[in-house]
Amino acid sequence: MRPVLVGVVTALVLCAAIYLGSRELHNFDSALAPYAIASVFLAFGIAYRYTAWISSPGARRLFKKGWGAALSWRNLRRAPTALPRMIATYLGFQKFLGARSRARWAAHQLIFWGCLLAAAITFPLTWGWFTFTANTGAGPQYTMNIWGLPVVEFNALSLLGWVLFHGLDIAAVLVIAGATYFLIRRMRDREASTGQRFGYDLVPLLALIIISVTGLLLTFSSVALHGGGYEFLAVLHMAAVVLTLLYLPFGKFFHIAQRPAAVGMQLFKYTEHGEIRHCRNCGEPIDTTAYVDNLRATMRDLKLDFDGLAEVCPRCKRLRRGQAYRSTVKPGF
Amino acid sequence: MMGRTIVIDPGRCIGCQACVSACRECDSHRGKSMIHLDYLDQGGSVASSPTVCMHCEDPVAPCAQVCPAEAILVTPDGVVHDADKSRCIGCGNCVNACPMGVPKIDLAAKLQFKCNLCYDRTSYGLAPMCATVCPTGSIFYGTLEELRTERPGVEVASTFDFDGSIISTGVAMVVPRGRPVDEPLPGGAGEHARVTGSPQPAGHLEPSADNVLGDPL
Ligand code: HEM
Ligand code: SF4
Ligand code: SF4
Repeated sequence: MRPVLVGVVTALVLCAAIYLGSRELHNFDSALAPYAIASVFLAFGIAYRYTAWISSPGARRLFKKGWGAALSWRNLRRAPTALPRMIATYLGFQKFLGARSRARWAAHQLIFWGCLLAAAITFPLTWGWFTFTANTGAGPQYTMNIWGLPVVEFNALSLLGWVLFHGLDIAAVLVIAGATYFLIRRMRDREASTGQRFGYDLVPLLALIIISVTGLLLTFSSVALHGGGYEFLAVLHMAAVVLTLLYLPFGKFFHIAQRPAAVGMQLFKYTEHGEIRHCRNCGEPIDTTAYVDNLRATMRDLKLDFDGLAEVCPRCKRLRRGQAYRSTVKPGF
Repeated sequence: MMGRTIVIDPGRCIGCQACVSACRECDSHRGKSMIHLDYLDQGGSVASSPTVCMHCEDPVAPCAQVCPAEAILVTPDGVVHDADKSRCIGCGNCVNACPMGVPKIDLAAKLQFKCNLCYDRTSYGLAPMCATVCPTGSIFYGTLEELRTERPGVEVASTFDFDGSIISTGVAMVVPRGRPVDEPLPGGAGEHARVTGSPQPAGHLEPSADNVLGDPL
Protein backbone atom coordinates (compact mmCIF):
# COMPACT_ATOMS: atom_id res chain seq x y z
CA MET A 1 0.00 0.00 0.00
CA ARG A 2 2.75 2.41 0.99
CA PRO A 3 4.69 2.04 -2.29
CA VAL A 4 1.52 2.94 -4.23
CA LEU A 5 0.94 5.97 -2.04
CA VAL A 6 4.51 7.21 -2.37
CA GLY A 7 4.29 6.60 -6.11
CA VAL A 8 1.08 8.59 -6.49
CA VAL A 9 2.40 11.49 -4.40
CA THR A 10 5.61 11.62 -6.46
CA ALA A 11 3.65 11.58 -9.72
CA LEU A 12 1.38 14.38 -8.47
CA VAL A 13 4.38 16.48 -7.43
CA LEU A 14 5.81 16.08 -10.92
CA CYS A 15 2.45 17.06 -12.47
CA ALA A 16 2.41 20.20 -10.35
CA ALA A 17 6.01 20.98 -11.31
CA ILE A 18 5.16 20.56 -15.00
CA TYR A 19 2.11 22.79 -14.63
CA LEU A 20 4.01 25.55 -12.87
CA GLY A 21 7.26 25.20 -14.82
CA SER A 22 5.46 25.51 -18.14
CA ARG A 23 3.75 28.67 -16.89
CA GLU A 24 0.39 26.98 -16.46
CA LEU A 25 0.87 24.91 -19.63
CA HIS A 26 1.39 28.09 -21.64
CA ASN A 27 4.77 26.74 -22.84
CA PHE A 28 3.67 23.13 -22.93
CA ASP A 29 4.13 21.56 -26.37
CA SER A 30 1.16 19.26 -26.88
CA ALA A 31 3.01 17.36 -29.61
CA LEU A 32 5.31 16.14 -26.83
CA ALA A 33 2.46 15.24 -24.46
CA PRO A 34 2.96 11.45 -24.73
CA TYR A 35 6.55 11.90 -23.50
CA ALA A 36 5.43 14.07 -20.60
CA ILE A 37 2.71 11.59 -19.64
CA ALA A 38 5.22 8.73 -19.79
CA SER A 39 7.53 10.69 -17.50
CA VAL A 40 4.71 10.99 -14.96
CA PHE A 41 4.27 7.21 -15.04
CA LEU A 42 8.04 6.91 -14.75
CA ALA A 43 8.00 9.03 -11.59
CA PHE A 44 5.26 6.80 -10.19
CA GLY A 45 7.17 3.62 -11.15
CA ILE A 46 10.47 4.69 -9.65
CA ALA A 47 8.95 5.90 -6.40
CA TYR A 48 6.85 2.72 -6.18
CA ARG A 49 9.76 0.37 -6.84
CA TYR A 50 12.12 2.33 -4.61
CA THR A 51 9.71 2.25 -1.66
CA ALA A 52 9.05 -1.47 -2.15
CA TRP A 53 12.78 -2.11 -2.40
CA ILE A 54 13.76 -0.26 0.78
CA SER A 55 11.10 -2.06 2.78
CA SER A 56 13.17 -5.27 2.76
CA PRO A 57 15.32 -5.50 5.91
CA GLY A 58 18.75 -5.35 4.27
CA ALA A 59 17.93 -2.35 2.11
CA ARG A 60 15.94 -0.54 4.82
CA ARG A 61 18.82 -0.66 7.30
CA LEU A 62 21.32 0.41 4.65
CA PHE A 63 19.01 3.25 3.55
CA LYS A 64 18.82 4.60 7.10
CA LYS A 65 22.51 4.17 7.85
CA GLY A 66 23.55 5.54 4.47
CA TRP A 67 21.47 8.70 4.70
CA GLY A 68 22.43 9.05 8.35
CA ALA A 69 26.10 9.07 7.36
CA ALA A 70 25.57 11.31 4.34
CA LEU A 71 23.67 13.93 6.34
CA SER A 72 25.74 13.61 9.48
CA TRP A 73 27.08 16.92 10.69
CA ARG A 74 30.04 15.18 12.30
CA ASN A 75 31.04 13.52 9.02
CA LEU A 76 30.61 16.77 7.15
CA ARG A 77 32.93 18.58 9.53
CA ARG A 78 35.49 15.80 9.67
CA ALA A 79 35.62 14.96 5.97
CA PRO A 80 33.80 17.70 4.09
CA THR A 81 34.95 16.49 0.67
CA ALA A 82 34.19 12.80 1.17
CA LEU A 83 30.62 12.93 -0.12
CA PRO A 84 31.11 15.13 -3.20
CA ARG A 85 34.27 13.23 -4.08
CA MET A 86 32.50 9.91 -3.89
CA ILE A 87 29.58 11.18 -5.94
CA ALA A 88 31.98 12.27 -8.67
CA THR A 89 34.30 9.25 -8.74
CA TYR A 90 31.69 6.64 -7.99
CA LEU A 91 28.44 7.84 -9.52
CA GLY A 92 29.82 10.05 -12.25
CA PHE A 93 33.02 8.45 -13.44
CA GLN A 94 32.30 4.93 -12.10
CA LYS A 95 35.98 4.33 -11.43
CA PHE A 96 35.27 0.95 -9.89
CA LEU A 97 34.14 -0.36 -13.27
CA GLY A 98 37.70 0.06 -14.48
CA ALA A 99 38.68 -2.66 -12.01
CA ARG A 100 36.36 -5.04 -13.88
CA SER A 101 37.66 -4.14 -17.32
CA ARG A 102 38.68 -0.94 -19.03
CA ALA A 103 36.42 -1.63 -22.00
CA ARG A 104 33.37 -2.13 -19.79
CA TRP A 105 34.18 1.10 -18.00
CA ALA A 106 34.51 3.00 -21.27
CA ALA A 107 31.34 1.54 -22.76
CA HIS A 108 29.36 2.29 -19.62
CA GLN A 109 30.67 5.84 -19.51
CA LEU A 110 29.45 6.35 -23.08
CA ILE A 111 25.98 5.08 -22.17
CA PHE A 112 25.91 7.04 -18.93
CA TRP A 113 26.96 10.45 -20.28
CA GLY A 114 24.91 9.94 -23.42
CA CYS A 115 21.75 9.19 -21.45
CA LEU A 116 22.45 11.97 -18.97
CA LEU A 117 22.85 14.50 -21.78
CA ALA A 118 19.72 13.25 -23.53
CA ALA A 119 17.69 13.35 -20.33
CA ALA A 120 18.94 16.84 -19.46
CA ILE A 121 17.70 18.11 -22.82
CA THR A 122 14.51 16.16 -23.35
CA PHE A 123 12.83 16.07 -19.96
CA PRO A 124 12.74 19.87 -19.52
CA LEU A 125 11.64 20.27 -23.14
CA THR A 126 8.74 17.85 -22.86
CA TRP A 127 7.70 19.43 -19.57
CA GLY A 128 7.63 22.84 -21.21
CA TRP A 129 10.40 24.10 -18.92
CA PHE A 130 12.76 25.07 -21.74
CA THR A 131 11.59 27.20 -24.61
CA PHE A 132 13.41 28.81 -27.49
CA THR A 133 12.24 32.12 -28.82
CA ALA A 134 13.52 33.70 -32.00
CA ASN A 135 14.60 37.28 -31.41
CA THR A 136 13.94 38.34 -34.98
CA GLY A 137 11.51 36.42 -37.14
CA ALA A 138 13.36 33.26 -38.17
CA GLY A 139 16.65 33.68 -36.29
CA PRO A 140 19.54 33.06 -36.35
CA GLN A 141 19.52 34.86 -32.99
CA TYR A 142 17.63 32.83 -30.34
CA THR A 143 16.96 33.11 -26.64
CA MET A 144 16.72 30.04 -24.45
CA ASN A 145 14.26 30.39 -21.58
CA ILE A 146 13.94 28.25 -18.48
CA TRP A 147 10.58 28.45 -16.71
CA GLY A 148 9.81 31.36 -18.96
CA LEU A 149 12.87 33.34 -17.84
CA PRO A 150 15.46 34.18 -20.49
CA VAL A 151 18.76 32.46 -19.69
CA VAL A 152 21.08 32.45 -22.71
CA GLU A 153 21.03 34.21 -25.99
CA PHE A 154 22.81 32.48 -28.81
CA ASN A 155 23.32 32.35 -32.52
CA ALA A 156 21.92 29.19 -34.06
CA LEU A 157 24.83 29.11 -36.47
CA SER A 158 27.49 29.34 -33.73
CA LEU A 159 29.13 26.40 -32.00
CA LEU A 160 26.92 26.79 -28.92
CA GLY A 161 23.88 26.89 -31.16
CA TRP A 162 24.99 23.80 -32.99
CA VAL A 163 25.58 21.90 -29.75
CA LEU A 164 22.23 23.02 -28.32
CA PHE A 165 20.36 21.87 -31.40
CA HIS A 166 22.37 18.69 -31.97
CA GLY A 167 22.88 17.59 -28.36
CA LEU A 168 20.52 14.69 -28.88
CA ASP A 169 22.42 13.49 -31.92
CA ILE A 170 25.67 13.55 -29.96
CA ALA A 171 23.99 11.65 -27.13
CA ALA A 172 22.66 9.08 -29.59
CA VAL A 173 26.13 8.42 -31.02
CA LEU A 174 27.60 7.93 -27.53
CA VAL A 175 24.80 5.58 -26.49
CA ILE A 176 24.92 3.52 -29.69
CA ALA A 177 28.66 2.97 -29.27
CA GLY A 178 28.38 1.89 -25.63
CA ALA A 179 25.29 -0.26 -26.02
CA THR A 180 26.67 -2.01 -29.10
CA TYR A 181 29.81 -2.94 -27.20
CA PHE A 182 27.72 -4.47 -24.39
CA LEU A 183 25.49 -6.24 -26.89
CA ILE A 184 28.45 -7.85 -28.64
CA ARG A 185 29.92 -8.80 -25.28
CA ARG A 186 26.65 -10.48 -24.34
CA MET A 187 26.75 -12.53 -27.53
CA ARG A 188 30.41 -13.50 -27.40
CA ASP A 189 31.58 -13.56 -23.81
CA ARG A 190 30.41 -16.30 -21.50
CA GLU A 191 31.20 -14.21 -18.46
CA ALA A 192 28.33 -11.98 -19.53
CA SER A 193 26.07 -14.51 -21.20
CA THR A 194 25.93 -17.15 -18.46
CA GLY A 195 22.38 -17.17 -17.18
CA GLN A 196 21.47 -14.02 -19.09
CA ARG A 197 17.77 -13.38 -19.62
CA PHE A 198 16.28 -11.70 -22.65
CA GLY A 199 13.95 -9.35 -20.80
CA TYR A 200 16.43 -8.38 -18.13
CA ASP A 201 19.75 -8.28 -19.97
CA LEU A 202 19.08 -7.79 -23.66
CA VAL A 203 15.95 -5.62 -23.77
CA PRO A 204 17.68 -2.62 -22.10
CA LEU A 205 20.49 -2.64 -24.66
CA LEU A 206 18.12 -3.11 -27.59
CA ALA A 207 15.89 -0.33 -26.25
CA LEU A 208 18.81 2.10 -26.02
CA ILE A 209 19.92 1.26 -29.54
CA ILE A 210 16.42 1.54 -31.04
CA ILE A 211 15.80 4.90 -29.37
CA SER A 212 19.14 6.28 -30.50
CA VAL A 213 18.94 4.99 -34.06
CA THR A 214 15.39 6.26 -34.63
CA GLY A 215 16.42 9.58 -33.07
CA LEU A 216 19.34 9.93 -35.48
CA LEU A 217 17.10 8.96 -38.38
CA LEU A 218 14.78 11.83 -37.46
CA THR A 219 17.66 14.26 -37.86
CA PHE A 220 18.72 12.50 -41.05
CA SER A 221 15.19 12.76 -42.41
CA SER A 222 14.93 16.50 -41.79
CA VAL A 223 18.47 17.31 -42.97
CA ALA A 224 18.78 15.04 -45.99
CA LEU A 225 15.32 13.85 -46.95
CA HIS A 226 13.39 17.11 -46.57
CA GLY A 227 11.34 15.43 -43.87
CA GLY A 228 10.67 12.25 -45.82
CA GLY A 229 9.38 9.51 -43.50
CA TYR A 230 9.51 11.93 -40.56
CA GLU A 231 5.99 11.23 -39.32
CA PHE A 232 6.53 7.50 -39.29
CA LEU A 233 9.94 7.78 -37.58
CA ALA A 234 8.54 10.18 -35.01
CA VAL A 235 5.86 7.68 -34.02
CA LEU A 236 8.40 4.84 -33.87
CA HIS A 237 10.80 6.91 -31.78
CA MET A 238 8.06 8.00 -29.42
CA ALA A 239 6.79 4.46 -28.96
CA ALA A 240 10.32 3.24 -28.17
CA VAL A 241 10.93 6.02 -25.64
CA VAL A 242 7.56 5.68 -23.93
CA LEU A 243 7.88 1.90 -23.57
CA THR A 244 11.43 2.24 -22.23
CA LEU A 245 10.40 4.83 -19.65
CA LEU A 246 7.58 2.58 -18.46
CA TYR A 247 9.97 -0.40 -18.27
CA LEU A 248 12.75 1.51 -16.55
CA PRO A 249 11.73 0.95 -12.90
CA PHE A 250 11.18 -2.77 -13.35
CA GLY A 251 14.25 -4.10 -15.11
CA LYS A 252 17.97 -3.61 -15.23
CA PHE A 253 17.67 0.16 -15.58
CA PHE A 254 16.50 0.31 -11.99
CA HIS A 255 20.17 0.17 -11.00
CA ILE A 256 20.27 3.87 -11.84
CA ALA A 257 18.06 4.48 -8.81
CA GLN A 258 19.65 1.75 -6.70
CA ARG A 259 23.36 2.36 -7.14
CA PRO A 260 23.60 5.60 -5.12
CA ALA A 261 23.05 3.29 -2.13
CA ALA A 262 26.68 2.24 -2.63
CA VAL A 263 27.80 5.74 -1.70
CA GLY A 264 25.75 5.53 1.49
CA MET A 265 27.18 2.09 2.22
CA GLN A 266 30.72 3.28 1.74
CA LEU A 267 30.18 6.37 3.91
CA PHE A 268 28.52 4.55 6.76
CA LYS A 269 30.95 1.65 6.65
CA TYR A 270 34.16 3.64 6.66
CA THR A 271 33.43 7.01 8.21
CA GLU A 272 31.08 6.14 11.08
CA HIS A 273 33.61 4.76 13.58
CA GLY A 274 37.16 3.79 12.92
CA GLU A 275 36.74 0.52 14.80
CA ILE A 276 37.35 -2.85 13.19
CA ARG A 277 35.68 -6.08 14.25
CA HIS A 278 38.04 -9.06 14.35
CA CYS A 279 37.30 -12.74 13.88
CA ARG A 280 36.41 -14.32 17.19
CA ASN A 281 38.39 -17.35 16.20
CA CYS A 282 41.61 -16.24 14.52
CA GLY A 283 41.67 -12.50 15.18
CA GLU A 284 41.93 -11.46 11.53
CA PRO A 285 39.94 -8.30 10.70
CA ILE A 286 36.45 -8.93 9.30
CA ASP A 287 35.07 -5.47 8.68
CA THR A 288 34.17 -2.30 10.54
CA THR A 289 32.23 -2.64 13.76
CA ALA A 290 29.42 -0.43 12.46
CA TYR A 291 29.04 -2.69 9.46
CA VAL A 292 29.13 -6.02 11.33
CA ASP A 293 26.57 -4.76 13.88
CA ASN A 294 24.31 -3.62 11.05
CA LEU A 295 24.60 -7.01 9.34
CA ARG A 296 23.77 -8.87 12.55
CA ALA A 297 20.70 -6.71 13.07
CA THR A 298 19.65 -7.39 9.46
CA MET A 299 20.03 -11.12 10.01
CA ARG A 300 17.93 -10.98 13.16
CA ASP A 301 15.22 -9.06 11.26
CA LEU A 302 15.18 -11.93 8.80
CA LYS A 303 15.07 -14.56 11.56
CA LEU A 304 18.47 -15.85 10.51
CA ASP A 305 19.37 -16.51 14.11
CA PHE A 306 22.92 -17.66 13.42
CA ASP A 307 23.87 -13.99 13.23
CA GLY A 308 26.63 -14.52 15.80
CA LEU A 309 28.55 -16.34 13.07
CA ALA A 310 28.99 -13.00 11.32
CA GLU A 311 31.75 -12.40 13.85
CA VAL A 312 33.70 -15.42 12.66
CA CYS A 313 35.65 -14.92 9.44
CA PRO A 314 34.63 -16.99 6.40
CA ARG A 315 37.73 -19.14 6.51
CA CYS A 316 37.28 -20.02 10.16
CA LYS A 317 33.64 -20.91 9.47
CA ARG A 318 34.82 -23.43 6.89
CA LEU A 319 37.61 -24.74 9.10
CA ARG A 320 35.33 -25.18 12.07
CA ARG A 321 32.70 -26.96 10.03
CA GLY A 322 35.35 -29.21 8.47
CA GLN A 323 36.89 -29.95 11.83
CA ALA A 324 33.53 -30.74 13.38
CA TYR A 325 32.85 -33.15 10.50
CA ARG A 326 36.23 -34.71 11.04
CA SER A 327 35.84 -35.08 14.78
CA THR A 328 32.22 -36.15 15.05
CA VAL A 329 30.92 -37.42 11.69
CA LYS A 330 33.77 -39.30 10.10
CA PRO A 331 36.39 -39.38 12.85
CA GLY A 332 39.95 -38.86 11.79
CA PHE A 333 39.56 -39.33 8.05
CA MET B 1 18.83 -31.49 -1.70
CA MET B 2 18.61 -30.78 -5.42
CA GLY B 3 17.93 -33.60 -7.88
CA ARG B 4 21.22 -33.41 -9.69
CA THR B 5 23.75 -31.82 -7.43
CA ILE B 6 27.22 -31.86 -5.93
CA VAL B 7 27.97 -34.37 -3.19
CA ILE B 8 31.11 -33.75 -1.16
CA ASP B 9 33.11 -36.37 0.69
CA PRO B 10 35.89 -34.61 2.61
CA GLY B 11 37.22 -38.06 3.57
CA ARG B 12 38.33 -38.60 -0.02
CA CYS B 13 39.97 -35.19 -0.48
CA ILE B 14 43.75 -35.37 -0.90
CA GLY B 15 44.23 -31.59 -1.06
CA CYS B 16 45.62 -31.67 -4.59
CA GLN B 17 44.09 -28.30 -5.60
CA ALA B 18 42.88 -29.65 -8.96
CA CYS B 19 39.39 -28.28 -8.25
CA VAL B 20 40.85 -24.88 -7.35
CA SER B 21 42.70 -24.70 -10.66
CA ALA B 22 39.75 -25.96 -12.68
CA CYS B 23 37.40 -23.44 -11.05
CA ARG B 24 39.75 -20.67 -12.08
CA GLU B 25 39.14 -21.66 -15.71
CA CYS B 26 35.40 -21.22 -15.47
CA ASP B 27 34.17 -18.67 -17.99
CA SER B 28 31.89 -16.78 -15.65
CA HIS B 29 34.77 -15.72 -13.35
CA ARG B 30 37.89 -16.26 -15.39
CA GLY B 31 41.12 -16.22 -13.44
CA LYS B 32 39.45 -16.31 -10.04
CA SER B 33 38.78 -19.53 -8.20
CA MET B 34 35.53 -19.72 -6.27
CA ILE B 35 36.09 -23.07 -4.60
CA HIS B 36 37.71 -23.08 -1.18
CA LEU B 37 40.15 -25.76 -0.18
CA ASP B 38 40.98 -25.76 3.50
CA TYR B 39 43.60 -27.77 5.31
CA LEU B 40 41.86 -28.76 8.49
CA ASP B 41 44.76 -29.85 10.59
CA GLN B 42 47.84 -28.15 9.29
CA GLY B 43 51.04 -29.61 10.64
CA GLY B 44 49.12 -32.52 12.12
CA SER B 45 47.67 -34.44 9.19
CA VAL B 46 46.86 -34.08 5.52
CA ALA B 47 43.13 -33.70 6.14
CA SER B 48 41.61 -31.19 3.73
CA SER B 49 38.15 -30.26 2.66
CA PRO B 50 36.69 -28.50 -0.41
CA THR B 51 33.84 -26.00 0.00
CA VAL B 52 31.49 -24.98 -2.78
CA CYS B 53 28.31 -22.97 -2.40
CA MET B 54 25.84 -25.25 -0.64
CA HIS B 55 22.85 -23.62 -2.38
CA CYS B 56 20.90 -23.24 0.87
CA GLU B 57 17.24 -24.22 0.55
CA ASP B 58 15.71 -23.63 3.97
CA PRO B 59 16.17 -20.90 5.01
CA VAL B 60 16.60 -20.13 1.36
CA ALA B 61 19.95 -18.51 0.48
CA PRO B 62 20.77 -16.36 3.53
CA CYS B 63 23.25 -14.52 1.30
CA ALA B 64 20.42 -13.42 -1.00
CA GLN B 65 18.17 -12.50 1.93
CA VAL B 66 20.65 -10.09 3.49
CA CYS B 67 21.62 -8.53 0.18
CA PRO B 68 20.47 -4.89 0.26
CA ALA B 69 20.59 -4.63 -3.55
CA GLU B 70 18.49 -7.64 -4.58
CA ALA B 71 21.57 -8.76 -6.46
CA ILE B 72 21.53 -12.51 -5.80
CA LEU B 73 19.05 -14.45 -7.89
CA VAL B 74 17.79 -17.89 -6.90
CA THR B 75 16.49 -19.71 -9.98
CA PRO B 76 13.60 -22.20 -9.72
CA ASP B 77 16.08 -25.07 -10.10
CA GLY B 78 17.47 -24.10 -6.69
CA VAL B 79 20.73 -22.60 -7.90
CA VAL B 80 21.85 -19.55 -5.93
CA HIS B 81 23.61 -17.34 -8.46
CA ASP B 82 26.57 -15.02 -8.22
CA ALA B 83 25.75 -11.34 -7.86
CA ASP B 84 24.15 -9.41 -10.70
CA LYS B 85 26.92 -7.16 -11.95
CA SER B 86 24.76 -4.08 -12.36
CA ARG B 87 23.20 -4.36 -8.90
CA CYS B 88 25.83 -5.60 -6.45
CA ILE B 89 27.23 -2.65 -4.53
CA GLY B 90 30.01 -4.65 -2.93
CA CYS B 91 28.80 -4.25 0.63
CA GLY B 92 29.95 -7.67 1.78
CA ASN B 93 26.73 -8.61 3.60
CA CYS B 94 26.54 -11.92 1.75
CA VAL B 95 30.18 -12.72 2.51
CA ASN B 96 29.69 -12.49 6.24
CA ALA B 97 26.12 -13.77 6.50
CA CYS B 98 26.86 -17.01 4.65
CA PRO B 99 27.21 -19.66 7.37
CA MET B 100 29.48 -21.72 5.14
CA GLY B 101 32.05 -19.01 4.33
CA VAL B 102 31.47 -19.11 0.58
CA PRO B 103 31.11 -15.74 -1.24
CA LYS B 104 34.15 -13.72 -2.17
CA ILE B 105 34.29 -10.01 -2.76
CA ASP B 106 36.39 -7.77 -4.96
CA LEU B 107 36.46 -4.46 -3.13
CA ALA B 108 38.03 -2.47 -5.96
CA ALA B 109 35.46 -3.66 -8.50
CA LYS B 110 32.68 -3.46 -5.87
CA LEU B 111 31.51 -6.89 -6.86
CA GLN B 112 30.78 -10.18 -5.18
CA PHE B 113 31.76 -13.47 -6.76
CA LYS B 114 30.61 -16.90 -5.73
CA CYS B 115 30.20 -20.45 -6.89
CA ASN B 116 27.14 -20.67 -9.13
CA LEU B 117 27.30 -24.44 -9.62
CA CYS B 118 29.04 -23.70 -12.95
CA TYR B 119 25.75 -22.55 -14.40
CA ASP B 120 27.33 -22.15 -17.83
CA ARG B 121 27.94 -25.93 -17.73
CA THR B 122 25.24 -27.45 -15.52
CA SER B 123 22.43 -25.65 -17.34
CA TYR B 124 23.60 -27.57 -20.41
CA GLY B 125 23.82 -30.90 -18.61
CA LEU B 126 27.59 -30.87 -18.04
CA ALA B 127 29.19 -31.46 -14.65
CA PRO B 128 30.80 -28.49 -12.86
CA MET B 129 34.53 -27.95 -13.41
CA CYS B 130 35.52 -29.09 -9.90
CA ALA B 131 33.61 -32.37 -10.08
CA THR B 132 34.99 -33.05 -13.55
CA VAL B 133 38.61 -32.86 -12.45
CA CYS B 134 38.50 -34.21 -8.90
CA PRO B 135 40.66 -37.36 -9.09
CA THR B 136 39.28 -39.05 -5.97
CA GLY B 137 35.54 -38.48 -6.23
CA SER B 138 35.63 -36.15 -3.24
CA ILE B 139 33.47 -33.81 -5.34
CA PHE B 140 30.79 -35.82 -7.13
CA TYR B 141 28.12 -34.40 -9.42
CA GLY B 142 24.93 -36.28 -10.28
CA THR B 143 21.78 -37.67 -8.72
CA LEU B 144 21.71 -39.77 -5.57
CA GLU B 145 20.93 -42.86 -7.71
CA GLU B 146 23.96 -42.20 -9.89
CA LEU B 147 26.11 -41.84 -6.80
CA ARG B 148 24.76 -45.13 -5.43
CA THR B 149 25.50 -47.05 -8.62
CA GLU B 150 29.12 -45.97 -8.18
CA ARG B 151 29.20 -46.38 -4.42
CA PRO B 152 26.55 -48.89 -3.32
CA GLY B 153 24.83 -48.10 -0.07
CA VAL B 154 26.40 -44.67 0.38
CA GLU B 155 24.49 -42.27 2.63
CA VAL B 156 24.36 -38.50 2.31
CA ALA B 157 23.11 -35.67 4.51
CA SER B 158 22.07 -32.17 3.53
CA THR B 159 21.13 -30.44 6.77
CA PHE B 160 23.45 -28.53 9.06
CA ASP B 161 23.13 -27.49 12.67
CA PHE B 162 24.60 -24.10 13.52
CA ASP B 163 24.23 -24.02 17.25
CA GLY B 164 20.51 -24.73 17.04
CA SER B 165 19.74 -23.12 13.67
CA ILE B 166 19.05 -25.80 11.11
CA ILE B 167 19.89 -25.12 7.47
CA SER B 168 19.04 -27.55 4.70
CA THR B 169 21.05 -27.27 1.53
CA GLY B 170 20.91 -28.19 -2.13
CA VAL B 171 24.41 -29.63 -2.03
CA ALA B 172 24.95 -32.76 0.09
CA MET B 173 27.78 -34.41 2.02
CA VAL B 174 28.62 -38.07 2.37
CA VAL B 175 28.10 -39.49 5.86
CA PRO B 176 29.21 -42.88 7.19
CA ARG B 177 26.74 -45.71 6.80
CA GLY B 178 24.67 -46.28 9.88
CA ARG B 179 24.58 -42.62 10.90
CA PRO B 180 20.95 -41.50 11.08
CA VAL B 181 20.48 -39.63 7.76
CA ASP B 182 18.16 -37.02 9.22
CA GLU B 183 20.64 -36.08 11.92
CA PRO B 184 22.03 -32.68 10.90
CA LEU B 185 25.73 -32.31 10.28
CA PRO B 186 27.56 -30.09 12.76
CA GLY B 187 28.05 -26.57 11.43
CA GLY B 188 31.03 -26.01 13.66
CA ALA B 189 29.36 -23.37 15.78
CA GLY B 190 28.73 -23.73 19.49
CA GLU B 191 29.93 -26.91 21.17
CA HIS B 192 31.78 -28.22 18.13
CA ALA B 193 33.74 -25.04 17.62
CA ARG B 194 37.42 -25.32 18.12
CA VAL B 195 40.05 -22.65 17.80
CA THR B 196 41.87 -23.30 14.55
CA GLY B 197 45.60 -23.69 14.35
CA SER B 198 48.20 -22.30 12.02
CA PRO B 199 47.56 -19.88 9.17
CA GLN B 200 46.19 -21.08 5.85
CA PRO B 201 47.03 -22.22 3.27
CA ALA B 202 50.39 -23.95 2.90
CA GLY B 203 53.26 -22.88 0.69
CA HIS B 204 53.02 -20.44 -2.15
CA LEU B 205 49.63 -21.51 -3.41
CA GLU B 206 47.18 -18.76 -4.23
CA PRO B 207 45.17 -18.13 -1.10
CA SER B 208 41.93 -19.69 -2.22
CA ALA B 209 40.86 -19.43 1.37
CA ASP B 210 40.90 -15.67 1.28
CA ASN B 211 37.43 -14.26 0.65
CA VAL B 212 38.59 -10.73 -0.03
CA LEU B 213 40.08 -10.06 -3.43
CA GLY B 214 41.90 -6.76 -3.62
CA ASP B 215 42.82 -4.68 -0.58
CA PRO B 216 40.99 -5.75 2.54
CA LEU B 217 39.03 -2.95 4.21
C1 HEM C 1 21.85 7.19 -17.21
C2 HEM C 1 22.16 6.32 -16.41
C3 HEM C 1 22.56 4.89 -16.70
C4 HEM C 1 22.24 4.06 -17.74
C5 HEM C 1 21.36 4.34 -18.92
C6 HEM C 1 22.89 2.80 -17.50
C7 HEM C 1 22.80 1.70 -18.33
C8 HEM C 1 23.40 0.48 -18.11
C9 HEM C 1 23.25 -0.69 -18.93
C10 HEM C 1 22.41 -0.78 -20.17
C11 HEM C 1 23.98 -1.68 -18.39
C12 HEM C 1 24.06 -3.12 -18.88
C13 HEM C 1 25.33 -3.48 -19.53
C14 HEM C 1 25.35 -4.94 -19.87
O1 HEM C 1 24.59 -5.37 -20.76
O2 HEM C 1 26.11 -5.69 -19.24
C15 HEM C 1 24.61 -1.15 -17.21
C16 HEM C 1 25.45 -1.84 -16.39
C17 HEM C 1 25.99 -1.34 -15.23
N1 HEM C 1 25.76 -0.08 -14.68
FE1 HEM C 1 24.69 1.39 -15.52
N2 HEM C 1 23.60 2.89 -16.32
C18 HEM C 1 23.41 4.15 -15.81
C19 HEM C 1 23.93 4.65 -14.65
C20 HEM C 1 24.73 3.96 -13.79
C21 HEM C 1 25.32 4.48 -12.58
C22 HEM C 1 25.14 5.89 -12.05
C23 HEM C 1 26.05 3.46 -12.03
C24 HEM C 1 26.85 3.43 -10.76
C25 HEM C 1 27.63 4.21 -10.31
C26 HEM C 1 25.93 2.31 -12.89
C27 HEM C 1 26.52 1.11 -12.68
C28 HEM C 1 26.48 0.01 -13.52
C29 HEM C 1 27.20 -1.22 -13.30
C30 HEM C 1 28.10 -1.53 -12.11
C31 HEM C 1 26.90 -2.07 -14.37
C32 HEM C 1 27.47 -3.47 -14.62
C33 HEM C 1 28.58 -3.31 -15.64
C34 HEM C 1 29.50 -4.50 -15.77
O3 HEM C 1 29.95 -5.05 -14.75
O4 HEM C 1 29.80 -4.88 -16.91
N3 HEM C 1 25.12 2.64 -13.94
N4 HEM C 1 24.24 0.18 -17.06
S1 SF4 D 1 26.20 -21.57 1.14
FE1 SF4 D 1 26.41 -19.35 1.46
S2 SF4 D 1 26.59 -18.51 -0.58
FE2 SF4 D 1 25.73 -20.57 -0.82
S3 SF4 D 1 23.48 -20.27 -0.78
FE3 SF4 D 1 24.12 -20.69 1.32
S4 SF4 D 1 24.41 -18.64 2.19
FE4 SF4 D 1 24.43 -18.39 -0.02
S1 SF4 E 1 28.20 -7.71 -1.74
FE1 SF4 E 1 26.78 -7.47 -3.45
S2 SF4 E 1 25.70 -9.44 -3.58
FE2 SF4 E 1 26.69 -9.36 -1.58
S3 SF4 E 1 25.13 -8.55 -0.21
FE3 SF4 E 1 26.31 -6.78 -0.90
S4 SF4 E 1 25.24 -6.01 -2.69
FE4 SF4 E 1 24.45 -8.09 -2.31
